[in-house]
Amino acid sequence: MTAPSRSAPAETPAVRCRSLGVSFGTVQALREVSLDLAPGRIHALVGQNGAGKTTLAKVLGGLQAPQTGDVYIDGRRIPPGDVRAAQIAGLAMVHQHFSLPPSFTVAEALELTAARKGGRSFFRRSELHRQWQNEVAELGGPTMLSTRIRDLPVETRQSLEIVRALAGDARILLLDEPTALLTPAAIDQLFERLLRLRDEGVTILIVLHKLREVAAVAETVSVLRDGELVLGPREMAEVSEGLLSDAIVGPAFGTDRTISMAPAVKPTQETLLELVGLSSRESAFELGLDEINLRVESGEIVGIAGVEGNGQRSLVSVIAGLAPVAEGTMRLGGVDATRTGPAGRRQRGLRLVPFDRNTEGISRSAPLWLNQSALRLVGRHRWRLPLISLRQYKRQAAEDMDTWRVRYDTVAQPAESLSGGNVQRLILSRELSPGLEVLVAAQPTRGLDFSATDFVRRSLRELRDGGAGVLLISSDLDELFELSDRLLVMYGGRIVARFDAPYDRRAVGDAMTGAQR
Amino acid sequence: MTGGLQRVASTVVLVALSLLLTALILWVSGYRVGDVFSGIIQGAVTAPGAFTSTIRWAIPLLLIGLGVVIGFRTGFFNIGGQGQFYIGACCALAVSLGWREGPVPLVMLCGTLAAVGAGTVWSLLPGYLRVRFGTDEVLTTLMMSFIGALVLQYLTAGPMRNPSGTGQTAASERIPDAFRITDGSGVSATVLVLVGGVALLVWLLLERTRFGLSMTLVGRNPTMARWQGINVSRVGLAAFALSGALAGLAGAVELYGPGARLVTGFSPEVGFTAVVVALVGLLTVGGTVVAAVLFGGLQSAIIFLPIVTDLPPPALVLLHGMVAFLVTIRFRAVRRPKTLGGKAAAS
Repeated sequence: MTAPSRSAPAETPAVRCRSLGVSFGTVQALREVSLDLAPGRIHALVGQNGAGKTTLAKVLGGLQAPQTGDVYIDGRRIPPGDVRAAQIAGLAMVHQHFSLPPSFTVAEALELTAARKGGRSFFRRSELHRQWQNEVAELGGPTMLSTRIRDLPVETRQSLEIVRALAGDARILLLDEPTALLTPAAIDQLFERLLRLRDEGVTILIVLHKLREVAAVAETVSVLRDGELVLGPREMAEVSEGLLSDAIVGPAFGTDRTISMAPAVKPTQETLLELVGLSSRESAFELGLDEINLRVESGEIVGIAGVEGNGQRSLVSVIAGLAPVAEGTMRLGGVDATRTGPAGRRQRGLRLVPFDRNTEGISRSAPLWLNQSALRLVGRHRWRLPLISLRQYKRQAAEDMDTWRVRYDTVAQPAESLSGGNVQRLILSRELSPGLEVLVAAQPTRGLDFSATDFVRRSLRELRDGGAGVLLISSDLDELFELSDRLLVMYGGRIVARFDAPYDRRAVGDAMTGAQR
Repeated sequence: MTGGLQRVASTVVLVALSLLLTALILWVSGYRVGDVFSGIIQGAVTAPGAFTSTIRWAIPLLLIGLGVVIGFRTGFFNIGGQGQFYIGACCALAVSLGWREGPVPLVMLCGTLAAVGAGTVWSLLPGYLRVRFGTDEVLTTLMMSFIGALVLQYLTAGPMRNPSGTGQTAASERIPDAFRITDGSGVSATVLVLVGGVALLVWLLLERTRFGLSMTLVGRNPTMARWQGINVSRVGLAAFALSGALAGLAGAVELYGPGARLVTGFSPEVGFTAVVVALVGLLTVGGTVVAAVLFGGLQSAIIFLPIVTDLPPPALVLLHGMVAFLVTIRFRAVRRPKTLGGKAAAS
């Protein structure tokens, strides 16, 4: 083990990691990440989705063992992947998703989940309340101790997560995207809390998406991109939002590759998909849509850029007919489809490549042929005999899969036996079937290797050139720049910017992160 | 196909293992294992009338079991077949006694339809709760099953009690002989054709229709099915309805066949054994037919055994339980039903 050659700073870093490497299969989630976090300060960690932020937080918290590298807390090495050791060393995590049991009262939940020593098997309620009343004093006083977690507003639950995390005398707090579900006012409150904690000497590492939030709370900032630390912990005073935005989205090598050829001649301009003032209510997992206006015409690919979690999932669900529309109109091929069910929309030529291929796109345990034939099962077939020929279904499925070069042994094998790229080919072979008018493709190349990615992109382009309309939702800017004829940016459930090719990477990046220069 | 063969083989092994374990327990308890098993063979096959009795018991097991297959295929555990069976029989009885002077075919048709309808309703209620609110159907169908048993008990002890009956158990009046489709043996050409036809229809539905394929898809992954435009709630309700309808039909067959009247707590095991039958049958129609005959034989032997050995009937119920236990472990471990509907899907 080589000691750092530079002379150690006056204080030992509260958290130090050296050349961390983590890979999941072929995906390198973290590469040679080395980081020092000075004690008693608020450090921000930013980056796009899939950049490795959560993985890094998990490694530091001992939830994920790195393949290479070491983690030190207050100068002591923590055995890799040992949560308990990290806790004892004084590190606590607040996860992206709330972990307090909803049916418990506040006091019970805190007592049960707090990582502190000396918890007893039996307790008296009054004693429990006395123990916790100081901790929750500023959140709503002693009466809240008997409130059930599920009855609390989101921001209070978030605060309780922090109370819980700090209950074991933690001196280092990791927060993984704590602002994702909070309202702006609640975010301000959270930040005030964090600043107070900082003043009490707690070291904080907070994972954030929005530059405005980084500027509001952090003292130093680090940027991860594709698993690499591209910008070390730098003082906030030294960096501009523009610099950060560039570091997050990466060098602009993609710009010269963007649409240089004129889009294919559109034979008859026809609006295939149109959303007019469309809003939807937020769900527990995703922002709602706020007055979305967009149209996809024949022979064009419309890109939707945005940091994930800004309403893209709601957008796809609403278009699919799986989430209710609160206000506004959706048209398919010029005809109102707002009240049409999912099956009806499919029959009017809507095809979908959903976000989660393995749960929404395929049925993992069902045989390939059934997965491939799924679209043939819905809709009007009344005038035909109810009986079908399985042999014909299987033959058709095999034919379609062969066309799309799905690699398989028999049509009866379960879909889970396919690799990611092959699953995507299977989905495309089903969705890009006759009758297609407009395709909504959500992250169609995520996690695919180079050749599969190339294949999917070529397919989308061919589709466009054939006169279909494509709505492409992606968090990969290079992909969007390469494919889109027009580009919209989603932020906070709204479409906040529209761009035409050639794209200005900086401007798009700023719109995505909400940066102001 | 190797996967299919493997599943068949593992089921055979599990059934054999249950036999072995049961034999072990009987042996430890001091019974002569050889006698017991030769008694089972006699009671199920070789003794006079034994095979007829096997088929007689296989019939309700098959009908209810097919309903269970439909439910499981779609991802639901309808284990309330017993109650749906009872309610169906009660409704068929009410129609047959209430309108005993009517034209025989019409009364029987109405009685059968009433039984089917009642079974459907008994199963649709938990089905609706499941699809709409995500309520666990294992609990609700089981509870409904108890209610069904109590309704039967009430009717046979109260409003439908045979006033001239002298027996200790509460029983209803007998239906007119003209309504019977079998004699007391419970087997006749009519019944066999009817049950065979139903099995064929279920097979066609599951294996040869779009709706059947939709059911499989919903059972495997409701989220994906929804994204494909399949109306998951409607498919789910249909599965519950069909499942209950078949159990109700079994009730009517029981009444018009071997029963002729209803006795409190008659055929107390069939509804639950049918679940095991469906599982041992690997949730296929053909497999369920085989398994129904197997368990029909066991049921027949349970009745016969005390005659030839000193073995009490519960000792063979032990065998049932053993098979159920082992097969269920396997099933639950390999294929948990995916969440569907309501809050279950959200978590």
